[in-house]
Amino acid sequence: MILKELRRRSLLGGLCKTNTMKDQSFANGESRYRLQLRKGAATVGLPPAWVDVSEEIASNVQRARVKMNELAKAHAKALMPSFGDGKEDQQNIEALTTEITNLLKKSEKKLLQKLSAAGPSEDSNVRKNVQRQLATDLQNLSMELRKKQSTYLKCLRQQMEDAADLEMNLNGNRPKEEDDDLDDMIFSEHQMARLKQSEVYTVEREREIQQIVESVNELAQIMKDLSVLVIDQGTIVDRIDYNIQNVATTVEEGLKQLQKAERTQKQGGMVMCATVLVIMCFVMLVLLILKEIIF
Amino acid sequence: MVLVSAVRDYVYRMLQDISGMKVLILDSQTVSIVSVVYSQSELLQKEVFLVELIDSISKSKESMSHLKAVYFLRPTSENIQYMRRQLSNPRFGECHLFFSNMLKDTQIHLLADSDEQEVVQQVQEFYADFISVDPYHFTLNMPSNHYYILPAVVDPSNLQHFCDRAVDGIGAVFLALKRRPIIRYSRASDIAKRIAHETALMYQQESGLFDFRRMEMSPLLLIVDRRDDPVTPLLNQWTYQAMVHELIGIQDNKVDLRSIGKFPKDQQEVVLSSEQDAFFKANMYENFGDIGMNIKRMVDDFQQVAKSNQNIQTIEDMAKFVDNYPEYRKMHGNVSKHVTLVTEMSKIVEERKLMLVSETEQDLACNGGQVAAFEAVTNLLNNESVSDIDRLRLVMLYALRYEKESPVQLMQLFNKLASRSAKYKPGLVQFLLKQAGADKRTGDLYGNRDFLNIARNMARGLKGVENVYTQHQPLLFQTMESIIKGRLRDVDYPYVGNHFQQGRPQEVVIFIIGGTTYEESRSVAQLNASNSGIRFIIGGTAVLNSKRFLKDLEEAQGIARSNANVV
Repeated sequence: MILKELRRRSLLGGLCKTNTMKDQSFANGESRYRLQLRKGAATVGLPPAWVDVSEEIASNVQRARVKMNELAKAHAKALMPSFGDGKEDQQNIEALTTEITNLLKKSEKKLLQKLSAAGPSEDSNVRKNVQRQLATDLQNLSMELRKKQSTYLKCLRQQMEDAADLEMNLNGNRPKEEDDDLDDMIFSEHQMARLKQSEVYTVEREREIQQIVESVNELAQIMKDLSVLVIDQGTIVDRIDYNIQNVATTVEEGLKQLQKAERTQKQGGMVMCATVLVIMCFVMLVLLILKEIIF
Repeated sequence: MVLVSAVRDYVYRMLQDISGMKVLILDSQTVSIVSVVYSQSELLQKEVFLVELIDSISKSKESMSHLKAVYFLRPTSENIQYMRRQLSNPRFGECHLFFSNMLKDTQIHLLADSDEQEVVQQVQEFYADFISVDPYHFTLNMPSNHYYILPAVVDPSNLQHFCDRAVDGIGAVFLALKRRPIIRYSRASDIAKRIAHETALMYQQESGLFDFRRMEMSPLLLIVDRRDDPVTPLLNQWTYQAMVHELIGIQDNKVDLRSIGKFPKDQQEVVLSSEQDAFFKANMYENFGDIGMNIKRMVDDFQQVAKSNQNIQTIEDMAKFVDNYPEYRKMHGNVSKHVTLVTEMSKIVEERKLMLVSETEQDLACNGGQVAAFEAVTNLLNNESVSDIDRLRLVMLYALRYEKESPVQLMQLFNKLASRSAKYKPGLVQFLLKQAGADKRTGDLYGNRDFLNIARNMARGLKGVENVYTQHQPLLFQTMESIIKGRLRDVDYPYVGNHFQQGRPQEVVIFIIGGTTYEESRSVAQLNASNSGIRFIIGGTAVLNSKRFLKDLEEAQGIARSNANVV
């Protein structure tokens, strides 16, 4: 009991400490400690099973965040001019992106299936709120991923254009300096080589862009599914008092529905019919037996 | 800003140190206090997955011991009883108790006795005991506001509750500001004097708590009575926030549209908060005409965005659309909200012929000319399309201004009012005059008491006004100007105790007993924006519109009458 604790502390001189704690908080006068006894040593009970699912999803979200940081670094590295053809950078980026998208998809599926709650109990409210919070986190992550991808795409495209421009310029400058015939032959060779290279280059880039677009679509799907769960900030749904009222009314509504259902069930013609039929069966049985006995 | 951020800070500190899944339990008052400053999504970020009211949570028997309970309550005896019941049958793993004002020692002992299973981890006081609706405007949202009108002998215990709540609220405001004020009050008002003295007493008794470092200039607490300015709540308003409150009604920054018509589910209740809505913040003090134009501009912008969204040709466009979808959705919601509000208000203005009525009201409040006024009021009383409440208001405004001139005509108006309005409670206007008549008011409501004011009025009349409908300035504006010039008269507003202030305070809190209006909070915001060197904060026991003011008067009249009958 708090009072006993207070007395005990005063014996140990602990009250002086509590008093100084009080005085300290008086110094800025914002709040006042009356009592702070134990720190977190109380028994917190075992949570229900769905909490495990929510914790799993939360850890997935955390992992996805870490991977996003790695992806950002990989993007930056790939955009820097390098001597190799950058294939392993591309593969790294692809791998990371697919990993993150898979994590998000998995989490989303779990969120929508396992955590959906039914019934107007308090536990289902908690569940619904946990679902909302995780949905917000997931949506933010997907949006971040999309933004990163689109900036990467833009930079890629920019690079492509720059490279093409550069080549055009180079091609443009050459003819003035060499002889005509030799010009044409070397020129066409150079031209062919360049064309081929730029073709390969273009095909590569196209493929990358295609992949990014695919992942964009997947993420768009996730966002669409999640958007029903996420609260729009600044609207009435984001108000605490509105949610409390709503809970109260849903509980009342649920109760009313249950009562109505009970009543209609009791009055149901079905019950009557069934009873009548059963009685008829018994009557027939009795008649049959009587018939056998008499005859 | 400071009030909003103080309450937010308190809520943050309540939730910050407690890890794990939490349930937040509030009472009917603290739910308003928290809802205006903290949103549901922010609570979810802090792992608060359930919010309940303390009276409903007592009914359920489900045990949820994996949740930690955070209680934020007002320290009333009712709440202490609920808490005792909760503590004897704890449903949650841990209990952290926070109270919005000072606990008495007896209350702590009661709680201690019930805590058999030792679930309470901490008990703290966080002084968030007021609802901060706007950056410089707070309210106490008292349900029975009308007690300030009645003399103390009528219902002493309820009046004591009223005063206690007011003193608690004022104390909490100054604790949030971390200052200790000098107190002045309106001389003519008994209740202002009472509350001023009780506040001073509280400071004396709890001196340890209020020992802030003394800066040179203490802030000023000015306690005034609504009855010094009964005109402002009666007038019809034409600036956005005030108008919505007058015509529809704003409660804790929420507008409930269900009372005025059928709307789709997501538009039945909307939020009007300057913190969260940039358009509202820019337009809350604009008048109706300007708002119409700004909304049109907003709708045009939105339509452009919508059109570009429909024009999705390439993958890039699609990507851009998905990127911007949350923004688009938010904009859509916002646009529909404002359009709905303005449409509904236009409808009401049309129905009740408010343009016509309000012109006369403003004349009654601002300009002279008794004969013309009498004629105008009579015409409007005869007009069939004017509603009862508007008729009542017109007669009240006339009576307040011309109570001394031509009593015969005044009687005529009373009779006409009684004959035309079926629901009118007879004698209400006289009751108002008795409470808030010229002899009872401090200050110069109509600017006709001293020569300076008369001259000022004449000058204003010659200059002409921009907008006939918004020409009224509440009395509060003059009071604030006098404070800025350092000329608030001691005769009218005496000090409590022996303090005398040399020079101007830098911070002023004006507490209006009986309630504030959004027109007054607009004046405060405008004055604060004009960099006069003083920061004003305004607060009251409720936020009034004409309906609420009249309801308070009626209830007070009813009680006074039944009391007179008994005696």
